[in-house]
Amino acid sequence: MTRRRFYRFLKYLFLFIAALLSLFPLVWMAVSATNASVDVVTGRLLPGKHLIENYRKLSQQANVKLAMVNSFRNSIVATFASLVVCSIAGYGFEIYHDKGKDFLMRLLLLSMMIPFAAIMIPLFMMVGKFGLLNTTTAFVLPTISTAFLIFLFRQSARYFPSEIIEAARLEGMSELGIFFGMYVPIMRSTYATAGIITFMNAWNNYLWPLIIMQSKDSIVMPILISNLIAGYVTDYGVVMLGVTLSVLPTIIIFLLLQNSFAEGILSSMK
Amino acid sequence: MGQTLTLRRRQSLIGWLFIVPASVLIFVFYFYPIVRALWLSFQTGVGVNLQYAGLFNYQRLLSDNVFKLSLTNVFIFLIIQVPVMLTLALILASLLNDPTLKFRGFFRTALFLPCATSLVSYAIVFRSLFALDGFVNYLLTALSIIDKPINWGGNPWTARFLIIIALTWRWTGYNMVFYLAGLQNIDTSIYEAALIDGASGVTRFTKITVPLLKPIILLTTIMSTNGTLQLFDETMNLTNGGPANATLSVSQYIYRLSFQYSPRFGYAAAISFVIFILVAILALIQMRVGDTR
Amino acid sequence: MRKNLIITLALVLVIALSGLASAVEITVWCWDPLFNIYAMEEAAKIYKEINPDVTINIVETPWDDVQTKLTTAVMAGQLNTLPDILLMQDNALIKNVTNFPGVFYDLTDSGIDFSQFADFKVRLTTVDGRNYGVPFDNGTAITALRTDILEQAGYTLEDFTDITWSEFIEMGKDILAKTGYPLLSSVSESPDHVMVTLQSARSWMFDENGNVFIANNEVLKETVEIYVELVKSGVLVQVPDWEQYIGTINRGTVAGTINGCWIIGTIVAQPDQAGKWGITNVPRLDKAPNATNYSNQGGSSWMVLNHSPNKDVAVDFLKHTFAGSVELYETILPSSGALATYLPAGDSDVYNEPHPFFGGQPIYADITEFAAKVPAVTYGVYNYEARDAVAVAISQVLAGWDINSALREAEETVKFLMGP
Repeated sequence: MTRRRFYRFLKYLFLFIAALLSLFPLVWMAVSATNASVDVVTGRLLPGKHLIENYRKLSQQANVKLAMVNSFRNSIVATFASLVVCSIAGYGFEIYHDKGKDFLMRLLLLSMMIPFAAIMIPLFMMVGKFGLLNTTTAFVLPTISTAFLIFLFRQSARYFPSEIIEAARLEGMSELGIFFGMYVPIMRSTYATAGIITFMNAWNNYLWPLIIMQSKDSIVMPILISNLIAGYVTDYGVVMLGVTLSVLPTIIIFLLLQNSFAEGILSSMK
Repeated sequence: MGQTLTLRRRQSLIGWLFIVPASVLIFVFYFYPIVRALWLSFQTGVGVNLQYAGLFNYQRLLSDNVFKLSLTNVFIFLIIQVPVMLTLALILASLLNDPTLKFRGFFRTALFLPCATSLVSYAIVFRSLFALDGFVNYLLTALSIIDKPINWGGNPWTARFLIIIALTWRWTGYNMVFYLAGLQNIDTSIYEAALIDGASGVTRFTKITVPLLKPIILLTTIMSTNGTLQLFDETMNLTNGGPANATLSVSQYIYRLSFQYSPRFGYAAAISFVIFILVAILALIQMRVGDTR
Repeated sequence: MRKNLIITLALVLVIALSGLASAVEITVWCWDPLFNIYAMEEAAKIYKEINPDVTINIVETPWDDVQTKLTTAVMAGQLNTLPDILLMQDNALIKNVTNFPGVFYDLTDSGIDFSQFADFKVRLTTVDGRNYGVPFDNGTAITALRTDILEQAGYTLEDFTDITWSEFIEMGKDILAKTGYPLLSSVSESPDHVMVTLQSARSWMFDENGNVFIANNEVLKETVEIYVELVKSGVLVQVPDWEQYIGTINRGTVAGTINGCWIIGTIVAQPDQAGKWGITNVPRLDKAPNATNYSNQGGSSWMVLNHSPNKDVAVDFLKHTFAGSVELYETILPSSGALATYLPAGDSDVYNEPHPFFGGQPIYADITEFAAKVPAVTYGVYNYEARDAVAVAISQVLAGWDINSALREAEETVKFLMGP
């Protein structure tokens, strides 16, 4: 019994240390957002009184609202489109798998193994030719379908009991009906994970918007941050406020969706 | 018999319809540019003056010491960091999957957040933590583990260690989230049965969790292998490839060749293809081992 | 009657069209709101009075991003996505002009008087005898020192003026022993310090013909040796990154720094140290034949894009502002510290104002005086390749390598990168 307790103690200790290490840079970032630049570079760890001043400077230097709105629009469109297209495909690859589809899946996986820098110029040429520069469409198009998400949904579909499908087919449900009516609700935790990851990737995407967004009005958050650290003199308090603001949406989305991790397959079937 | 066959055919056809939109998008936005890049890799020259040169760029690679060093670096990261990170993520996920655990939501959020943290702030924090007069050296000297401060960024192996720590810090929670989602799909009655049989925590982990999570472990392994061989952010922002290129990654070298040096896109494309082939081979092996139904 | 009507209509049309055509927008890519962007905005105001139909549209773009977008657009053959004017780092100017022929507008015969700019700066923006950039900000190197710490050890700013590196190191050791303060700090993987010293002796990593000049470059060797001695003696501390470099200055853990004069913006950010700083010229090499006490670090220039349909307007704009308006430089100096390399601006009263943070020293006049004496070198097409290779060599020498073999390896690396 005491040994059991000791293990329990060790478990909590381990988790607490891991959580502490994970949170430290984040807390440091948020605290620094309230400090003057000189305090940030001299390593002050206590909250300061410069938050309002930093915010004033930030909004003078950059159009945070515009960048936030653009980033939100781009990321949300990208996430929704991705989830729909990739989850149907992942489901299709697993449930109806045969030699041909397995081969195609492997082929698609190859697409994520080449550095973006290598395909950036041809992609830019395509977008330019279609006249899509500075548009959400251009931002979203190459990111909708990714081998990684398709693969994630394919692997998750493996946990989808085939008896359910058979039963539903006997009841006369259409294939698409089974997907939307049975698979989607059961795989809620997978959708939550995929949603968070896709949103985060779209939100943090830097290189692609950098080359296709040429006008002032299409600025997104990562570019706003990169503008803040480009000068001869960097105001680190302002930078820290900027990065704190840019991280918040991902955190909020995670908090909103994380409850679905707590629900298992059984609870959602009941 | 004849009817089941047509039914199967019908289902197979529906299956194709499910996968066509995604596949077409990947062919247009990945494979077409990749073929363009392959063509580019057969051309040599600086800036816009490019000429066809066959396999010349690939030959040139063989005598490029910086490329060889960068390849060695990413393999060192791959061999050491990926297994450590994935094991850690698995352990954390299975600890967090316990419904009786207190503060689950807090732990889950805290452990996930590093990958959401802005690269800019995390690089600044890490560099100052590992500075000569930074917190890590302070702690290690206070605990008498070392007698004088370590210049983390100044020595090839400590700099590599710094990158490995940073990668593990940033990506463990990311992988953990996939395992958590996977664990949600496992019927809890299996665990309950094992508990009744008196299986210890370690046994449950190795005999139930790991085998059942195999599809997701395969996914994360391919992802991490790919991510490590294409490593860029950490080496660029934490050590800038130094000291003496000991942490230079292949992607960072590609970046230098494309955007910092006199641009040699043909040569950079050839390097991309070497990476492409290496990752593809590794992924193929991983699929062979892990993708069984 | 009808004829008149047609003529009238045609006239109306012409006037309407010319009215449309004269409303021109000039797009500019540059970075730094407190410095370049601010200067550009002020220039736009001045030009508004000369040509009210022209608006200047500034798109904030950091230098690395300017380079990425420029390279991508040129390689993709989509020059129409580029702006009319962009700001170019001087150390990348020759590289871009050489590798992307025809992309930048040749300003040689544009009517801009380049003799009005500091000589070294014009040299950095010239390729094959043609001018491609309107020189802008001043990267003249300075030694900035904490006069209060010097005083503690019994030294003055005067003792650090017009000196050699061996004198500098001697005094540095003495100050370190007496006060515990190192004189300098620098970012460990950055070769900036070595580059400043190299240019001060009119030497570079390439010879006049553009060939690599590293392994047998005695000046470079002396420079690296000095850097190693600075580190080994503790007179210079190496820090892992730029933030910590700034930290050493703002926190006051070092007694000074050597850098481009734009570092002043960082120094004055710490109000606690007001009145405790002074500036002087940089130390010169002991052995190098052309050694001087003047050098340059950083800086950028305005370039006009050749494809721009409004390049004549863009040139006219630059001619009347950055290449012709003392008033512009007088406006931007006090609030941004943006020092010009436009020599007529140096005679202005604004430049001779004493600076309270630097104990009343007229630092801008001093820097302008230094700027006129900076040795002119050509950075060359393969500047970035050479910088990285020399940075590796410095790390190797610090780790105990023999200096000759480290520089030989650096030369091999650059030669490989320049190869077919």
